[in-house]
Amino acid sequence: MTKNEVKEKPAVSHTPSSDFAKEVEQEYGGEGIMKCIQCGMCTASCMVASMTDRYRPRQLIQKILLGKREEVLTSDLPWLCMTCRLCEERCQEDVNLSEIFHAVREIAAREGHIPKVFQSTVDQVLEDGWLLKDAYSDFIEEDREDLGLDTDLNWNDEFVKKVKKRYLSGGNKK
Amino acid sequence: MKEFALYTGCTTPVRLPAYEASVKIVLEKLGIRLTLMKDANCCGAQYVESLSHTAFCAMSGRVIALAESMNLDVLAICGACSGSLKTVKHDLDNNPKLCAEVNELLAEEGLKYTGTSEVKHLLQIFREDIGYEAIKSAIVKPYSGLRLAAHYGCHVTRPPEIVKVDDAENPTIIDRIIELAGATAVDYTGKTRCCGGPMLAMDADVATRIGLDKIKNIREEDVDGIITACEFCDIQLTQVQFDDLAEQGVSKIPVIPLPQFLGPALGINFDKLGIYLNKIDPKTILQKV
Repeated sequence: MTKNEVKEKPAVSHTPSSDFAKEVEQEYGGEGIMKCIQCGMCTASCMVASMTDRYRPRQLIQKILLGKREEVLTSDLPWLCMTCRLCEERCQEDVNLSEIFHAVREIAAREGHIPKVFQSTVDQVLEDGWLLKDAYSDFIEEDREDLGLDTDLNWNDEFVKKVKKRYLSGGNKK
Repeated sequence: MKEFALYTGCTTPVRLPAYEASVKIVLEKLGIRLTLMKDANCCGAQYVESLSHTAFCAMSGRVIALAESMNLDVLAICGACSGSLKTVKHDLDNNPKLCAEVNELLAEEGLKYTGTSEVKHLLQIFREDIGYEAIKSAIVKPYSGLRLAAHYGCHVTRPPEIVKVDDAENPTIIDRIIELAGATAVDYTGKTRCCGGPMLAMDADVATRIGLDKIKNIREEDVDGIITACEFCDIQLTQVQFDDLAEQGVSKIPVIPLPQFLGPALGINFDKLGIYLNKIDPKTILQKV
C-alpha cells in the first residue's frame, strides 16, 4: 500500500443512519466533528465520565457520527458536558467537543428538548437581566454596605427582553 | 494610572462580595483604577449560550459595547464571564455578519460593538498591567512557612488560543504570586481539572464528587489553603467540603480568592478584604503573614 492510498482511506468507513453529523457540521460550533478519530482521549480525561457511567464524550460523538439523531437530541447527554475543555486541550485532532455539544444543544433547543433547569434559568435571566435577583437579600445588602460596595446592583433588564423576543420566544429561530 | 471597566458578573456581588471588595482594594493599591460598569446584563454563559449562540453573542456583545462607550478595557473577575466575553469578542471580530446582527439590536440604545475594548481576566492584570516586579516591591508583610495550592479555573485558561491568559497545561500566574508573597506554591494531581461547578445544574452529586476529588488531591500535598481566581470555583471548592459526601474527621481546607490572599501581604486590613465573611476561616493562612 502506498502512502497516498493510506491517506485516502476515510477514518470512519461505515454508513451513518442519517445526515445528523453533517447537520451538526453546518451548525455554528459544530464544524470540527468530522475530524474525530474515536481515540477516546476525551473520555479518558473527562472528570464527569470519571464520576458517572451516564456520560462518555467519545461515545456521544460516535452516536452523532452514526446518525442517531433522535436518540441524541432527546437525551440529557449533550447537556452533561461541563465545557471545561480539558479534553479539547488533549485532543490531538483539535476536535472542539464543547463547541460541538453546544451546537447539538442548540438544535435540540429548537425542537423543544431543553432540560428543565436550563429552561428555567434562561427564563429567569431573560426576565431579570441577571441570574441572582431573587437571591439578593437584605442580609447580603448589609454585607455589601459594610464592605463599602454599591448596594444598588444596577442591572439592565430591558435588553434581555429584546433578546428573548428576537431569538428565544417560542423556541429559538437562529 | 491604568483604568478598567469592572464587570462583576451576576454571582460575585451576591455570593462572594468579599472577592469584589478585595479586587477593588488590592488593584487600587497596585495602581489600577476601576470604574464599576453600570446598567450591564448577564454575559449569558452556559444557559443562554446553550440555547442560542446569537442571543449569547448579543448579551456578551452588549457588555463589551458598554465598556467601549466608557472608552475602557473590561476587567472580568469570574471565569465564566471572562471566558464568555473573550469567546464572543473573538466571534464578533471574525464574523462581520454576526457583528452586524448584534449591532442592529445594540443601535436601539445607541450602543455599538466595534472591537476596540479588550477583555482581560484578573490574572492578566496582575501579570501584564501590574507586573511581577511591582507586586514584589509592594509586599510589606510577606508570609512565611505556608504551603498553598493554586486552582486556576477552566474558563480562565481555556481555550488558550482565545483567552490568552496563561499556559493552559502548566499555568503559573497564581503560583508566581503565591511565591512573591513569601509562601510556597505546591503542585498536586489534576491541577488543571475542573472544580465541578458547571455540573451543579444537571447533576449535583457528580458536581460534588468532582470537587471533592480535587480537595482529596490537594489534601495529599499537606497544604494550608487553596487560592482561586474565579468566584464559582471558590464557592464550589468551599461548599463541597460541607457536603455529606466529604471526608469526615478532617479539618476543612480554607479556600480564598487571590486578591484576598495578597491583600494582607500588601499591608491591607483584614476587615477591608471581608475576611470575616469567609465560610472556612482562613486564620491558619493569615496568621503567617
